[in-house]
Amino acid sequence: MSADVTGDGAGAEGGGGADVDQGTYECNICLDTARDAVVSLCGHLFCWPCLHQWLETRPNRQLCPVCKAGISRDKVIPLYGRGGSQMDPRTKTPPRPQGQRPEPENNHGGWTFGDGGFQMSFGIGAFPFGFFASAFNFNDGRPGPAPPGTPQAEEERVLSTLFLWIALIFMFWLLMA
Amino acid sequence: MASMQKRLQKELLALQKDPPPGVRVDEASVTKSLSTWQVDMDGAPGTLFEGEKFQLLFKFGPRYPFDSPQVVFTGPNIPVHPHVYSNGHICLSILTEDWSPALSVQSVCLSIISMLSSCKEKKRPPDNNFYVRTCSKNPKKTKWWYHDDSV
Ligand SMILES: [Zn+2]
Ligand SMILES: [Zn+2]
Repeated sequence: MSADVTGDGAGAEGGGGADVDQGTYECNICLDTARDAVVSLCGHLFCWPCLHQWLETRPNRQLCPVCKAGISRDKVIPLYGRGGSQMDPRTKTPPRPQGQRPEPENNHGGWTFGDGGFQMSFGIGAFPFGFFASAFNFNDGRPGPAPPGTPQAEEERVLSTLFLWIALIFMFWLLMA
Repeated sequence: MASMQKRLQKELLALQKDPPPGVRVDEASVTKSLSTWQVDMDGAPGTLFEGEKFQLLFKFGPRYPFDSPQVVFTGPNIPVHPHVYSNGHICLSILTEDWSPALSVQSVCLSIISMLSSCKEKKRPPDNNFYVRTCSKNPKKTKWWYHDDSV
């Protein structure tokens, strides 16, 4: 019996063909055309300000308003239409989350010497390489080297020579091993 | 406030133009701010409530649709149903903790029709007398412990 009711309702909704077309890009919360649009992983469209307000309303229970799938700030995708940037650049209180650039998958196999590849192939050497870095960039982020001739400069020179030797010995050991 | 009225305006137009069967907005009851509406509802044919007429009172706060509306049965005929108290309060989870801003007056009406239609025995909730004596006027202030849906 309740099925009858719902069935009739859906039929009536489907009748208004023009409305259905118009509704395609309407925000599921304000029922207006979505502005600063984001889409959830479950495919539901919202204005970012509308969705943000809903997520703030129930911070401990963040569900898609339409289908109750899990949803969060990090799990929505912003939609950029053509000419979207010409929109009024008002300072939006809830900034829209950034579009992400996930690394493309490597389909050809083997290593690439990109970001991830380096760390993975040299993972075991992390400690020694970190050590080199600190040895060679001794002055990083600190005041510049002490003026030459001062005892401090002398000390630094000795230290860096020492580190250089340790580094060379270590490399030698690596080659022999 | 403006966004609440804008959305209610859209809902009102849609409901006037294309109401679900057995549902009518009582246009005279709609206040200028759109914050109070009365909706007339017919008991669905083929159910225990066939031929009965009910009135629902909707009250919308400024945070609608992020906050659920206050919805109670009103008028001379309050349906006798295990989830409806004799003062018109309705024990329905979408009206409080399961509310979502994607729901609407129309979907609330359809849920209530469906709730009534699945009724197998016309009786009041077991705690009706106690509840009606002690509850707040606003059903949203009640901490509902939701009845088993199979009732
Ligand atoms: Zn919106
Ligand atoms: Zn969804």
